[in-house]
Amino acid sequence: MQSRGSIRVFLIASLVFACFLCLNAYASERKKSIEPLPQPPSPKYNTTTPEKVELGKKLFFDRRLSGDGTTSCASCHDPEKTFTDASEISLSYPTTRNFRNAPTLINIAYAKSFFWDGRAKTLEQQAEFPIMSPFEMNQNLDFVEEEIRIVPEYREAFRRVFGQEVNIKLIAKALAAFQRTLVSQNAPIDRYLRGDKNALSDEAKKGLEIFTGKGKCIKCHHGAYLSDQKFHALMVPENPKYANEEKFIVTRRYVAKINKYPDYMNIKEDLGRYFKTKKKADYKAFKTPTLREVAKTAPYMHNGIFKNLDEVIEFFNKGGGEGNRELKPLGLNDEEKRVLKIFLTEALSGDDLKIKPPEIP
Amino acid sequence: MKELEGKVKLVVKFFPYRYRDHARIAAEAAVEAWRQGKFAEMHELLIKKSPKLDRESLIAYAKELNLNVEKFIKAIDNMEGADIIERDLKLAKELDLYVTPAFFINGIKVLGVRDADYFKNIIFRELENAKQR
Repeated sequence: MQSRGSIRVFLIASLVFACFLCLNAYASERKKSIEPLPQPPSPKYNTTTPEKVELGKKLFFDRRLSGDGTTSCASCHDPEKTFTDASEISLSYPTTRNFRNAPTLINIAYAKSFFWDGRAKTLEQQAEFPIMSPFEMNQNLDFVEEEIRIVPEYREAFRRVFGQEVNIKLIAKALAAFQRTLVSQNAPIDRYLRGDKNALSDEAKKGLEIFTGKGKCIKCHHGAYLSDQKFHALMVPENPKYANEEKFIVTRRYVAKINKYPDYMNIKEDLGRYFKTKKKADYKAFKTPTLREVAKTAPYMHNGIFKNLDEVIEFFNKGGGEGNRELKPLGLNDEEKRVLKIFLTEALSGDDLKIKPPEIP
Repeated sequence: MKELEGKVKLVVKFFPYRYRDHARIAAEAAVEAWRQGKFAEMHELLIKKSPKLDRESLIAYAKELNLNVEKFIKAIDNMEGADIIERDLKLAKELDLYVTPAFFINGIKVLGVRDADYFKNIIFRELENAKQR
């Protein structure tokens, strides 16, 4: 009798727990919404000041940050190209090849992890990676400190801004401070969310309905940054253009190798976040990018495989890549796809940021 | 690209990458091939054979293209293309260019390797703009 009672208690408890899970999932689905962009964060460990931003801007455009003096951060994050390089695969250090697409830096202040695989947790951590990457800027971090320190204007600026001598951590802080100022300005979606109901055209409003409804875009693209800041394996196909390109293969093997992937010599795909975490859930998973300014940042996905928004919408409409477990076909008709694109283009594009290269000391 | 015949003028400038051993001598080879009327052929060959661009290989390519090899050797050994190459390097510096390949299409700057569609879009758009002017 006692055993039957225990079973009953267990069953009731399981039922209550299942109901709790369902309600929880329902509540979290319901609360997903698009929010207007707040002021960018100014973290305690690196508060944003005008002098620091000015210094960071100079460093951002300074080619001393690359090994051969040809490449600055702005080479792949070009202000004239919405802080991307408009390439499928990002530009690379001379004679090498990158293997992923360069994301926009606009609104990067709101990101909670960096790179397609999320291997950096702060913008300050992020800054060091491309500087020392052999296929990006190929610079030595100790060496670049000396290259910057020997310039009197820089030495003086670092003392003024940080009260310290130049070092790589401060270089990263200045770069991060500048990047936190790159924020979408006057985007129609923000005006709309703040109450200006005329900020969106009727077609864009219909597109918004698709975005939050049948299109299910909001499931991963929500909040002010329009990203869940998570990683998803959508099984985006490998970009066939680079399948047999030696330099591309070299870079992919190198990334697998430094992440201690045992069979790096035979790697045929970009395994995304899995390289770093080795967790099954991260196999071929990539970070959800922001959709703000998306119309200006083609081509799309981690390998730039989709040339335009039509191709991206089609990919999601058919339920993502082969074998993915995250997406299902959406069944959007041509009109629904059209208005969704209008929403993405019209509502999420702010004014162009007019950032000119500063004079480099 | 037959459809662009007579509509587009291509001007090639030299920018031998300073940290590659054979970049400068390969540029010399291209200048001399141009002087002997075979720039396009040599250009194709250099791209195809890169990075095998040492002096002996360049001479072999000159033979392959039926150039006057004696004249070719004299030209690359004496750096007879220096004036042209230095002029182009100076221009690159003035334009703040550090990356190869770099393109200007009607003044629109395009940096890095791109596929044909990327260029086509710009070229056709510029041709259209030119028609309307």
